[in-house]
Amino acid sequence: MNEVSRNPRRALSRALSRIANAGVAETLAQQGKSITPALSRIGVTGAPGAGKSTLIARLAKLRKGDARKVAVLAIDPTSPISQGSILGDRIRMDSIADDPDIFIRSIPSRRAHDGLTDNTADLLNAMEGHGFDEVILESVGVGQAEYSIRTLVDTVVLVMLPESGDAIQAMKAGILEMADIYVVNKSDLPGAQLMAAEIQQVAERQSTDGWTPPVISTSRNEPDGFAELDAAILAHAEWRKSHRDQTVTQRARARYQAQGLFARRIDEILETDDPGLLDLDPQSLFDALRDKLASDKRD
Amino acid sequence: MSLNGKRILIAKPGLDGHDVGAKIIALALRDAGADVIYTGLRRSPDYIARVAVDEDVDAVGLSILSGSHKELVEETMRCLKELDAGDIHLFVGGTIPSEDHDELVQAGARGIFTAEMSLNDVVAAVEADLVT
Repeated sequence: MNEVSRNPRRALSRALSRIANAGVAETLAQQGKSITPALSRIGVTGAPGAGKSTLIARLAKLRKGDARKVAVLAIDPTSPISQGSILGDRIRMDSIADDPDIFIRSIPSRRAHDGLTDNTADLLNAMEGHGFDEVILESVGVGQAEYSIRTLVDTVVLVMLPESGDAIQAMKAGILEMADIYVVNKSDLPGAQLMAAEIQQVAERQSTDGWTPPVISTSRNEPDGFAELDAAILAHAEWRKSHRDQTVTQRARARYQAQGLFARRIDEILETDDPGLLDLDPQSLFDALRDKLASDKRD
Repeated sequence: MSLNGKRILIAKPGLDGHDVGAKIIALALRDAGADVIYTGLRRSPDYIARVAVDEDVDAVGLSILSGSHKELVEETMRCLKELDAGDIHLFVGGTIPSEDHDELVQAGARGIFTAEMSLNDVVAAVEADLVT
């Protein structure tokens, strides 16, 4: 079914599938057709079980209160064995599931090893192109690879649990330094206050150009924390306007996308087109790939 | 054959609160390569149809142990059509007496799976229906 559905949600949802499944040539052919300036993208990341999905449900409702249409893109890992996945984020977003102004889409990570998925950038663009003012991207925290989500979104929220160890552990894993806002979730658990205080110290050292990442405690029984998070996101958006260079952001995103497309094209060549190349020595393999890429035609 | 790239929603409509079967089926489909979304318990047909649309699934599997399979299958089908999504395939599994099967097929069910079937047979039937 390729015709556009008369139901706009179905039209968007089918467009997202096409983008998610597109190979490199098709992805490139689609580029440039809709240039929508990113209004606001929030990335929420953290270890499995940190409570990201539940937190996003609370947050999406608050963000919507500021007269926005909010879309959520929730990425769950693909099984390396079967290539299948269980996309379980949505079940935690119960409280917003009935809201027609909130769109939730679950996507498997596929080949991507950075907590995101193939064509993430294009998926975000498509959601923005369909009239959503704000996109919340949920990804599984994978330590240092959080660099990717940082490139694609405007505000990174890192969600941590009190029992995930002390701040030293977090620093070791490389996940501190990456976020614009820190959340200690399930803050009614023992150790939460100590952890928040430790992260606060790290965050203060991280202060740049007048933005010190706030550390916010949230828990199911403490609704004020979510309002505080909402306010922090707004404050960060304000700060960004005067302190982030759009050219730098744009270039970083273009670079991320180009690297992803090249990596996937090479996968396509080595998995489907010509797996025999893998038996060559590294120099010959590199030369063969270069020639192959050079002969790729524009659709 | 494999279900790679296929998206399937496993849904529990109605009032029965037992979802061990639904979860086992979800895992079996995942192991066959599908991307599986599970709704959780006690969802309305209207909710299930809207999730099916937003998630752009190829098929919806309803797990029903309450006995109201006829009403729930008909209602889910009606809601899907209302959202311009009548082409999404519908399966139903659970405790479903054989005398009801014809009627469910007429209501739009592409497959009916009962506890007597092996997991492999269920997955094979879904594959045969979705992968052509």
